[in-house]
Amino acid sequence: MSELAEVWRYREVMGNLVRRNLKVRYKNSVLGFLWSLLNPLMQIGVWWFLFKIILGNEEPNFMATLICGFIPWFFFSQTVLDSTGCVTQEMALVKKAYFPRTILPLASLLSNLIHLGFAFAVLIALFAIWRVDINVHYWLVIPSTLLITVFAYGLSAMVAAWSVFYADVKFVVGNLLGLWFFLTPVVYSLGGVLDGQVKVTNWLTGLMAHWLPVIKKIYLLDPVAMGIVGYRSALLYGGANPIMKPEDLARQVELQAQYPFAHYVLGAAMISVAVSVIGHLIFRRMSDLFAERG
Amino acid sequence: MSVIEVQHVWKQYRRPHKQVNSLKEAVLAMLRGQTGYEEFWALRDITFTVEAGEAIGVVGPNGSGKSTLLGLLARVLKPTFGSIVVVGRVCPLLELGTGFHPELTGRENVFLNASLLGLNQRETARKYDAIVEFAELEEVMDSPVKTYSTGMVIRLGFSVAVHLDPDVLLIDEVLGVGDEHFQHKSFGRLLEFKQEGKTIFVVSHNLDALKRLCERAIWLDRGRIVKDTDSEEVIAKYRVSVELWERSLADARARDAPPG
Repeated sequence: MSELAEVWRYREVMGNLVRRNLKVRYKNSVLGFLWSLLNPLMQIGVWWFLFKIILGNEEPNFMATLICGFIPWFFFSQTVLDSTGCVTQEMALVKKAYFPRTILPLASLLSNLIHLGFAFAVLIALFAIWRVDINVHYWLVIPSTLLITVFAYGLSAMVAAWSVFYADVKFVVGNLLGLWFFLTPVVYSLGGVLDGQVKVTNWLTGLMAHWLPVIKKIYLLDPVAMGIVGYRSALLYGGANPIMKPEDLARQVELQAQYPFAHYVLGAAMISVAVSVIGHLIFRRMSDLFAERG
Repeated sequence: MSVIEVQHVWKQYRRPHKQVNSLKEAVLAMLRGQTGYEEFWALRDITFTVEAGEAIGVVGPNGSGKSTLLGLLARVLKPTFGSIVVVGRVCPLLELGTGFHPELTGRENVFLNASLLGLNQRETARKYDAIVEFAELEEVMDSPVKTYSTGMVIRLGFSVAVHLDPDVLLIDEVLGVGDEHFQHKSFGRLLEFKQEGKTIFVVSHNLDALKRLCERAIWLDRGRIVKDTDSEEVIAKYRVSVELWERSLADARARDAPPG
């Protein structure tokens, strides 16, 4: 509790750091803050081009599915990626004065939350222009964001602390996020995964086929995947169970019975909180050594 | 009333035999069975108290633990053993201006830096003009700090720090910052602090300045307190020891020099 009080006492430092992060990120670029929108938009364009044009994805409404998945994903990945530098780039401050070190990953998280809010506002504006029905189910975005935020804080804190001691962390994290991107339903929807089968061609696919039911369960417990699914449920499906397989209604009902969604949401939330606590403890233990080792 | 209480403080650093900066190096070192560290005591059993309003100078050769001691008092470092209590608002003047962000303007940096040192926005706004005036940087406050000269950055850093109204001022080797004119001015400011009854704790190699500012001095050598008393006496003895050391070095050099 006293820790929380201390962070609160230093809230102005955090506010200043957040303001600085926002100002500095796109400094010296002509379009400035607009990049916080253009960057994810351009990436969405790339994935859309790949999946829709080159691979000929048949899914109806693919663009909307993609956008709703990409916005929370971009928030998550950017937060974790930024955390690799959130302490190392502030070494001058860390060596100069005492302040609760936790505010460094927190400030980086908050900056990214603001970027997310900005992107979301633009999305809603676009929806208004496209005359998409904006309804009460949109509130589900809030717990979905919370789920990802709590999880991202834990990972960020760990990554931030390790980055002070090992420069490798940055590269490992970048590549792991690249893999993780495909392990969350960003460029595809959830129903396809739960229905998916593995064709056995070698030992690895054999192993995967054998463990497939477990893999699917673990897949569903990923807070990021759950967050993304929550966004889709809120924005596209009017709050309906997000295990969607639109072309096959009977199969959908079967899947929903097989994967009781509430259980997985609860599980993912528990994982989120656990990772957050563990990450925070790791960070706190290591932060005593930041000033002398960095 | 004592404002600083340092009791039996030990500080150990683990100095890597070889700097390990990557996972690969760490794994290789582990496989080779290298423990990788040399343990090194920067401070050994340091005990002293400082009363409110005292000005204390710390002297000692390089590597004697002076900066470590200041880092501990500023709570940037943690002691390995022992306890440190510092009462009131502490303002560390360590590595002046290093906390500034090059892309932000002077004004933005003043607010960031002041908040870091415990001043809120409103207080900073009130003192802003005085800070800028003292640093003599009125014209450039809206330009990014990366366009400043080194002297300008240091002036601004010093000015922010001394305007924070601290109870305890920790100073590391900043008695000689800036040009002649600013050195004079900043030293004058420190004397004012002293008259206001603030506690000053200063590390410096500038022995004359120390003697003028401080009535008490602590002499550190290899992490131990050699002497802690009246500054005149400590500094005189320290000077003698430095001279002796230099003479012995000179003798050794003369001995080892080839004849002729």
